[in-house]
Amino acid sequence: MPGQPFRTGNRVLPFLVLVLVLFATRESRAIPAFSRMYGTSCSTCHIDFPKLNDFGKAFKDAGFKFPKDDESMIKIPPVMLGAPANAELWPHAIWPGVIPGLPPIGLRYNTYFQYTSTNRTNFNQLLPPGTVAPFIPTTDFQTGFFSIFTAGNFGSDIAFWVDDDISVSGANANGGLGEAYLKFVNVGRLMKLPPYLLSLRVGQVELDIPFTQSKSIWISPYDIYSQANIGAVNGAFPLQQFVNNAFTFAGSGKGIELSGGHSTGGYHYSVAFIDQVTTPGLSQANNNNYVPTATGSNQGGVGVASDANFKDIYTNFQYRFNLERDKASRNAIQAAGPTGPRDHTYLNVGSFYLYGRSVQRLSGSTLDGLPAVVTAREPFYRVGGNFTFNYHCCLQFNGLWMYGHDNNLLPVDASGMPVPLPVSGTTTVGLVSGRPATFSGGFADVEWLAYPWMMVLMRYDGVNSTSDYINGLTSGGFTNSPFNGAAYATRNRVTPGVQFLIHANIKASFEYQFRPSQSVVIGSNPRTGYPVAISPFHTNTAVAGLEFVY
Amino acid sequence: MKRSFLLTLLLVIAVAATAVAGTIEGKVSPGKSVVYVDTIQGKTFPAPSQQPVMDQKGLVFGPHVMVIQQGTTVEFLNSDNVQHNVFWPSISGNKKLGHNLGTWPKGEKRPFKFDNPGVVSLLCNVHPEMAGYIIVSPTPYFAEADAIGNFKIENVPDGKYNVVAWHEGMKQQTKSVDVAGTGKADFTLSK
Repeated sequence: MPGQPFRTGNRVLPFLVLVLVLFATRESRAIPAFSRMYGTSCSTCHIDFPKLNDFGKAFKDAGFKFPKDDESMIKIPPVMLGAPANAELWPHAIWPGVIPGLPPIGLRYNTYFQYTSTNRTNFNQLLPPGTVAPFIPTTDFQTGFFSIFTAGNFGSDIAFWVDDDISVSGANANGGLGEAYLKFVNVGRLMKLPPYLLSLRVGQVELDIPFTQSKSIWISPYDIYSQANIGAVNGAFPLQQFVNNAFTFAGSGKGIELSGGHSTGGYHYSVAFIDQVTTPGLSQANNNNYVPTATGSNQGGVGVASDANFKDIYTNFQYRFNLERDKASRNAIQAAGPTGPRDHTYLNVGSFYLYGRSVQRLSGSTLDGLPAVVTAREPFYRVGGNFTFNYHCCLQFNGLWMYGHDNNLLPVDASGMPVPLPVSGTTTVGLVSGRPATFSGGFADVEWLAYPWMMVLMRYDGVNSTSDYINGLTSGGFTNSPFNGAAYATRNRVTPGVQFLIHANIKASFEYQFRPSQSVVIGSNPRTGYPVAISPFHTNTAVAGLEFVY
Repeated sequence: MKRSFLLTLLLVIAVAATAVAGTIEGKVSPGKSVVYVDTIQGKTFPAPSQQPVMDQKGLVFGPHVMVIQQGTTVEFLNSDNVQHNVFWPSISGNKKLGHNLGTWPKGEKRPFKFDNPGVVSLLCNVHPEMAGYIIVSPTPYFAEADAIGNFKIENVPDGKYNVVAWHEGMKQQTKSVDVAGTGKADFTLSK
């Protein structure tokens, strides 16, 4: 009986390809250098790049190499940095290693086209009378990113990764370093631990969050990952919070990460310790002209990245259950290990937790009236759970929920009365606990690989933040809210999308974002007297992109 | 006495057979092509018992091109430490003859008997860059040309045949050849 080589189905979609040949994703990180090195297609490791299939995950877990028989797979021989026999001479010789035969460099470019609904002009009402509002076009071509990335391994289970956006928006802007790290795979073997029980990653990393943001196939970021926790500061409401925590999961952290297990079956864990960066705007440099740093000069440096001594602690634990109904194939998958079939049914569940201490420093005074710095160290945590149900080759359901909690230390003056927020002056002498600033939310999505070259997507994002809601209800302002004038405490977004692989390394993407409710007109609730949004509207957008890597 | 008679008879038959068995020689451009005698009306040939192996090693099909007689069973072996799949979307363009053998790990073999003549384009849906070919000849009279294109098909009975030449990426060509002891056919294939 003839079989089917691929997933098949309706063949009426070529016209869509023609229509949508203008689109791409934002943050993809496929590595064409590996294609060159191993003489294999991108789709060996990726489904709809940069999304990894199971083999790609195993390749990454192993330190960017084939989990077994890697040497026999390499088509371009590596350059030896010392004969292997030199290992016998150690410590009287440098431990031998290798570098790739070709520089493992990949490049990526993307461009966008955006359509914005007519509600985009509603925000002009916020400007003072007589001000000419900035023009926002209905349709707009937008230059994306030109990025460089390199990754590989040095033999002996030491891997590396660096990616950097060297140009953003065509304006010679530098999007900055994404991830840059060394990974010591299987360091546990030095302690005679079982394989894959312990690996070490050092550098600037994206935390091991359950669904990667930087390598997502979506054009739009996950809203919950971009959620900072800014406390309620709006005099019209009784709730006042002195919380100003800029931490989000969308950014990268600097530190070390211990990890183990497999991403392709059974358990996987990670524990990371990263610099605490919770002050808004403190993303990289904290200049001090007198204190030398590793990247600075004798007169100081630019490399201080923390805003506190405390290191944030992040943990992640995942477990994948193989749900193949047929016992023979289930056993075969388990026996095959990381090189097992990628198109099988499984359920992955997990949880993650981050603990940190947000720091705010105020110019205050002692009870005696002497100048003093009042430091608020507000512990915070993020906790959540996630699941993935993958059905055979082509259908995947993902979900993540997260809860954020920041302790709230309110400044008080010498009489013990709360200092009005935002703080001005130097009357603060101490801090008292107030109601914590919290938020919750998450997302759920469906990813259907209708064809090997077409991915159909649907996602729901929800973020529930009372403080964002309160901060957004400031007449003529909205500067304290990450979302202009949220009409409700919960921001919902529904995003359907479709993506086409024109080639294995060229992708067209399309998303329509039914965006959350917004408002620019503030009224008063006749019952409570609190501000309330009037005439809410949605500024929906359609974004299309075209991306290639080589 | 009886045994001597039988031996003599076998010898006569063998000599007679050799006398009518000829060769088809020639040159095909480019080299490394496959040449075979097409279907002979009214003649069938027993399937060979040998089972050649098509290997997948180093993310490559090996051999890249294999020519077999119709009815041959081929063993598909995975010698890599990664999963491989084998499928072919058609045989000589006939999509009804497409087949997916599945995906399997290192060391396992899966057999398939090729009952239909034609060109089988082997693919692996795990590694899309992999490609191999099996040319299924309807007769046992086939050969692979050397690097410069010389070929020789032996043991072809005298007669008139259609001879087909095939090369990857080229249009295959058919020529009529008379074999009377020897036959000659030169091919120049083009894209």
